[in-house]
Amino acid sequence: MSGNLAQAYAPLLIHLLVALGLSAILLILSSLIGQHRPTREKMQPYECGITPVGDAREPFDVKFYLVAMVFILFDVEAVFLYPWAYVFRELRWFGFTEMLLYILILLAGYVYLWKKGALDWNPSKTQRDRQT
Amino acid sequence: MNDTIARSILVVSLVKVVVLLFLVLTAVAYLVWFERKVAAHIQGRWGPYRVGPHGLLQPLADGVKFLLKEDATPAGVDRFLYFSAPLLTMTLAISAIAMIPFGPASIHIFGIATPLVIANISVGLLAIFAITSVGVYGVALGGWSSNSKYSLLGGLRSSAQMISYELSLTLSVVGILLLAGTFNLSELIMRQDGYTWGHLPKWNLLNPTFPQILGFFCYFVAAIAETNRAPFDLAEAESELVAGYHTEYSSFKFAMFFLGEYASMITVACLASILFLGGWLSPFPQTPGLDWTRYLPAGVLAVAGVALIIHGVRYINVFGRIALPVLGVILGALSFLCSQPGVIDDIQGPFWFLAKVLFVLFVYVWVRWTLPRFRYDQLMRFGWKVLFPVALLNVILTSLAVVMRK
Amino acid sequence: MFPPRQDVLRLMPEIILSLSGILLMLIEPFLSGARRTLIVTLAALGSGLALVSTIYPATLPGTAFSGLLRIDGFSVFVHVVVEAVAFLVIIGSADYLDREKIQHGEYYALVLFATVGMCVMAGAAELMTAFVGLETSSISTYILAGYRRDVPRSNESAMKYFLLGSFATAFFLYGIALLYGATGTTQLARMTFPTTPGRERLLDLGLGLMLVGLAFKIAAAPFQLWTPDVYEGAPTPVTALMASGPKAAAFALLLRILATVGAAGTFWFWALWVSAALTMFVGNLAAIAQSNVKRMLAYSSISHAGYILVALAAAAASDQVELGVAAVLYYLAVYALMKLGAFIFVSQLGGESERHMEIDDFRGLAVRQPVAAACFALFLLSLLGLPVTSGFLGKFYIFNAALASRLIWLAVLLAINTVIAAFYYLRVIVVMYMRQPNQTWPPAPMPWAVTFVLSIAAAGTFYLGLFPGRVMALATQAALSLPGR
Repeated sequence: MSGNLAQAYAPLLIHLLVALGLSAILLILSSLIGQHRPTREKMQPYECGITPVGDAREPFDVKFYLVAMVFILFDVEAVFLYPWAYVFRELRWFGFTEMLLYILILLAGYVYLWKKGALDWNPSKTQRDRQT
Repeated sequence: MNDTIARSILVVSLVKVVVLLFLVLTAVAYLVWFERKVAAHIQGRWGPYRVGPHGLLQPLADGVKFLLKEDATPAGVDRFLYFSAPLLTMTLAISAIAMIPFGPASIHIFGIATPLVIANISVGLLAIFAITSVGVYGVALGGWSSNSKYSLLGGLRSSAQMISYELSLTLSVVGILLLAGTFNLSELIMRQDGYTWGHLPKWNLLNPTFPQILGFFCYFVAAIAETNRAPFDLAEAESELVAGYHTEYSSFKFAMFFLGEYASMITVACLASILFLGGWLSPFPQTPGLDWTRYLPAGVLAVAGVALIIHGVRYINVFGRIALPVLGVILGALSFLCSQPGVIDDIQGPFWFLAKVLFVLFVYVWVRWTLPRFRYDQLMRFGWKVLFPVALLNVILTSLAVVMRK
Repeated sequence: MFPPRQDVLRLMPEIILSLSGILLMLIEPFLSGARRTLIVTLAALGSGLALVSTIYPATLPGTAFSGLLRIDGFSVFVHVVVEAVAFLVIIGSADYLDREKIQHGEYYALVLFATVGMCVMAGAAELMTAFVGLETSSISTYILAGYRRDVPRSNESAMKYFLLGSFATAFFLYGIALLYGATGTTQLARMTFPTTPGRERLLDLGLGLMLVGLAFKIAAAPFQLWTPDVYEGAPTPVTALMASGPKAAAFALLLRILATVGAAGTFWFWALWVSAALTMFVGNLAAIAQSNVKRMLAYSSISHAGYILVALAAAAASDQVELGVAAVLYYLAVYALMKLGAFIFVSQLGGESERHMEIDDFRGLAVRQPVAAACFALFLLSLLGLPVTSGFLGKFYIFNAALASRLIWLAVLLAINTVIAAFYYLRVIVVMYMRQPNQTWPPAPMPWAVTFVLSIAAAGTFYLGLFPGRVMALATQAALSLPGR
């Protein structure tokens, strides 16, 4: 079994290594071949042609974190669905009802998020008031 | 495991990997050409025309240009992350293709029969998703490490978008798993063999138990968003964010993001054809009335070759008048080869597979040059409030159909 | 393939709690305006129904869901304690939340979810299930601790609780992993003791890590450092919940692990012994120095964890496990009631944004609100352990168990600590009864909901102090129902 496993996965590892090597070679090659004439202005980050104001490493909108959290919640659901789908033919009605229950509970959370405006990028005024 | 067998497996897969990567990178380069051509014709232009006949050497010129351009690294970047972001993006994008089977036949390298796939692992589908979903790191790291506000915003937006649509992407495939019960891509294709009522192929898109039309819709839309392509290319919405997360990247580092995007497109198209369109299976049943379809590969190549020769001899410059007919002759020779008894059966799989992939890629490009870009809030709303419920509905309906049928 | 009907019935309280929690979350966003009555009624109804439905597991003992849960007298006893706490906290919170303008359905839903977690902890016969219960209750309480979002103290409390709590659960999880490595199963009943020397050490290490994780949850020294800050910063009704519910559940889990895996022997015993002694002293000595009543009560709850640990040590030491276990269970019930009453009273008296929490604010309260002050005095006396109150009998049983196990020194330490505790409990009573009323602010009148909770808690404190027979019989029964070594 372990032999088969190695036979199946070794090519993937080789592929990953070759791909990594190829990308690295291209990256190094371009920095070797390409010219380098740095000037102060050229090295500044782009900001519409004016001198950059402040630093870019600033705190950003908390919404991005919200999206990430919601993603994790539902991605875990999706992850559970995969093995379930794999053995679904054996589970039959039992599997169906159990997963339906699970999905329904998660859907309750989804409805909650929706109504609370967590899925809107720009919540409307009324929703913003209702958000707690 | 025997030592010599191990070594031969190593050598064989190394050869396959190198050949595949060469093909993929060429394909990526010509996909760019293809996209520019299609875009141009959609807009009533000619597209690349100068470098080589019909701009056929344009990708080569682009590549050389990227290598020779000044490699500027802005001050204040986080150097390690700044360089690893494009590296990561490209490596992962050209790695996912390792799990894609291109045909049922085996080829012989150094006398060892080996299938047309690099890694035929039992969880191929999961592995592809695992590899592609790490791609979001390239975007996020590239955006953050550049120390530019446009990059940061582009990277953030793009990561939020990618994870939002990844949800629908993973969910859209669950329907297929329910129908097939396997993660192995070759087996997934085998399960789609057969024809409903003798003619309609049992591809998952048209599966008699429950057609995966919703699933395909979700998959395709989510995949477009995953690869940051229009109309979901908010990451590089040039009217607001200059170039998004790769604003500060120049020379080949920029090209690597570019290659990564197009390589992901190819992976997505391959996966679409495997999961929904029956992979290498022919759409025509091999019944007495329809067995002439076996000559389709040869026929298509022959027609293309003849057209190239006729068109080529009247081309505007001498180079084209030589190059295009030569290309046509090569295609003609290939066509002859494909009609030979020993080859004709082996060529069916790759031909149909590539035809489907090309079709999906064409739709991809067609969509990009037809639809306007979403606004960011529309994008998030669509992903979370339309695509996600639809994908979930597809899962529930499919499981119901499967359980009722058995 | 479907779970048998009995399994579902045995899980009835958890199911009712979860469903009512989900229902609350679902209707919350659809409500606007006058919603308080509906929300509170629903939440109280949910927890009350769960309390009533505990009759199913009580009459149907056995294992459920392929041995993941074990429903016996022990788990039913803890279920009742935890659900009663949830019910009282829900009713006692309504006015507080109104005053702080944080009257949301989510609050009650979180209380219900936390209760589900505690119930699962009480009934878990398998370590992963126990972990899921622990996480469910912990995460809900983390959020609840920070429920006054605009108050920095509340945020600090939630953050501290979350960070330290995550560490503790990580310890617990590592312990599970090592235990699994040592015994090859996570089913408590199926754990057999390895004889190979290396594995034995693995088992000890795993048990030690789990003990650390749970010691954090019950605020036992030396893992009690978070308690005062978290209890003080959290909204007071939440503190009432945290001090009584999760502690009971964590003790229940500890007991169950101890009872099944107890053969590990002296290691457990000495760990518990040292921790008990330390916890009592740390809690009581620090409480003396407090001028803030809420903080003082927080320290006092540390010391009470120490008292219960004495009973645990007694259970670990003797052959008559049930004596110690019954003492723990009885004290948990007693402690939950009096602590809950005390905190709910403080939450009402504190007024808007919990302004009046200093001892000074309690001056002459007996004159202005004689009944409420009497209730509070009763809870304090019970916490101290005066006869007639339930605290006395609770401590008596602990003494009894300790002496039966010949833990003379621990019993002596317990007595010394009771004397120390007298100092700070009596100080508050003296201030309330013997000083002139504070003229700068009038305490708000008691709303009926708070009165209801206080009277239930007071009645319970009297009942358990005067007629221990029935409950003690139940506790002994529960102790006997634990699968022995």
